[in-house]
Amino acid sequence: MMEIFQVVGIGLTGAVLAVYVKESNREIAVLISLVTGLVLFLYALSKVGAVISILAELATRANINMFYLTVVLKIMGIAYIAEFGAQICRDAGEGSTATKIEFAAKILVMVLALPIIMALMESVLRLLP
Amino acid sequence: MKVELIFQIAGIGILTSIFHIILKQAGKEEYSFIATLAGVAIALIMVIQLLAELLDQVKGVFFL
Repeated sequence: MMEIFQVVGIGLTGAVLAVYVKESNREIAVLISLVTGLVLFLYALSKVGAVISILAELATRANINMFYLTVVLKIMGIAYIAEFGAQICRDAGEGSTATKIEFAAKILVMVLALPIIMALMESVLRLLP
Repeated sequence: MKVELIFQIAGIGILTSIFHIILKQAGKEEYSFIATLAGVAIALIMVIQLLAELLDQVKGVFFL
């Protein structure tokens, strides 16, 4: 519970340092905000691992095919990473690059979701006479 | 948590801006540009190692 103070402290420190450096050195300011984001992201990710292992256990108990769970997790991972990269690019003033990252992430998610859509179609076709 | 990396990179940024000002005052415009470039490169090397660590961890957690 006390970790939230650490997270907020790191975020505020990174923001203040980035703003201070920005007026003399814009590239380094982008790198500082990138490192702050990376540190916070790494910290959050170490907690996500426990949640995901519990989700996997629940899925095996409910006899859900592990394939679907891994697809959902992969989509989550792609979304997190793409969002992170796009936000950094947008902070650096490269809005067009951010849009392209998001576009590529959407395409990759769609490719991952295709087998599920096909399975759904198969079962719908089997239900129809 | 690698908080010290934030301070290291902020230090690199402040130092390179000081070098930039000093070299500009001394009339060495071209060296000041190279000093800034070197600072950015050093900071980028440090950041990229952390980025690789993050990508590895995401790969492990989300079965990518």
